[in-house]
Amino acid sequence: MALSHIFSWTFMYDFIRGPMVWISFIIFFCGVVFQVRRFMFLLKEQPVKKLEPGPGKFISRQTASHFAMDRGKTRWFKKGWFKKGPDKKDPDKKDWIVWFTVSIAGVKPFMTMVTTIFHVLLIGVPVFVLGHNILLDNAFGISMVSLPENVSDLLTGVVIVCILIFFFRRLFLDRVKIITGYEDYVFLSLAAAPFVTGYLAYHQVFSNYKLLISLHILSGELMLMAIPFTKFIHMIYMIIVRFNVAGEYSFGNARKSW
Amino acid sequence: MFRKKNTAGVNSDEIRAILDEKKTKMKLSLKACAHCSFCAESCFLFMGHNKDPKYMPSYKFLNSVGVLYKKKGNVDKLELGEMRDLVWERCVLCTRCYCPIGIDIPDMLALGRRICRSQGVYPQYDKE
Repeated sequence: MALSHIFSWTFMYDFIRGPMVWISFIIFFCGVVFQVRRFMFLLKEQPVKKLEPGPGKFISRQTASHFAMDRGKTRWFKKGWFKKGPDKKDPDKKDWIVWFTVSIAGVKPFMTMVTTIFHVLLIGVPVFVLGHNILLDNAFGISMVSLPENVSDLLTGVVIVCILIFFFRRLFLDRVKIITGYEDYVFLSLAAAPFVTGYLAYHQVFSNYKLLISLHILSGELMLMAIPFTKFIHMIYMIIVRFNVAGEYSFGNARKSW
Repeated sequence: MFRKKNTAGVNSDEIRAILDEKKTKMKLSLKACAHCSFCAESCFLFMGHNKDPKYMPSYKFLNSVGVLYKKKGNVDKLELGEMRDLVWERCVLCTRCYCPIGIDIPDMLALGRRICRSQGVYPQYDKE
């Protein structure tokens, strides 16, 4: 195969649409498994001891803030809460309000809303957009439920607005600017690229549709491959930490620590 | 940028050896840090110092262990002195800091303290 053929547009276009998709998904899945195993290897189960008044009994550091206020009792929103004892009270509205107010949603409601919407749509839009489902249907004969095109168009716009808010934060908020490096802008652009190029390609803003759609596919593949090896891995770690590492905000019977 | 490094009295090999002991955890933590600043409100020193960004747990972590890792231990006494202020003056290792991604920030700051102490850089409260 001549070099001129490899670097020809047709070959690159077919390669990006074909084998590169498989390569990016394989790297994504294998990379995520590798990183999760590495993370779980670093976590160790810690013995949970009750906080007791008086000498002789200690509470492990990691669970102190997790259980300290409960003196060893099960929190009402954790596993086993429904087993009522004589000293348990029914949860009322005030407990929910206090829990919400002291959580990140109560402290930073706007950012919580923006990041939640962004992360839900980051996964939701590519999975449920019609174009992707048509490709899946052609390739494997299966597809997900598809959103109407005007809805997915609007949601893409919402994602782009959220990304602009993140850019704004990085540029103008002191507390974020002070810890921002060039890689943060690179990764934010990488997250934005599939949505921007997809939007432009769908609306055929530029005359060269093939170029735009290739950039869209390529940026999606690059993002997938980057997930396990960059800070994008927080998409997996966030969930693992909440359910495994003991702390003030953990769910379930989280008992592990470093 | 053009300041000449004075690496006298700093044993970079020793620093690298200490970093290697927690290499996996440190590299994972530095890579996973999303620079989101959501750890800030969990630090009472940040809240008590008028939300000064230099008290943020992520700032302390990235500018101590992060710098040591990026420079592969090739730092001078001045840089270690700056790190000393970060890891001792601005942190009490209360372990209250919360990272939504699961980075063990206190452990990383304790590593920073260990490295500074190994090079003879630590607060001397009786003399200061």
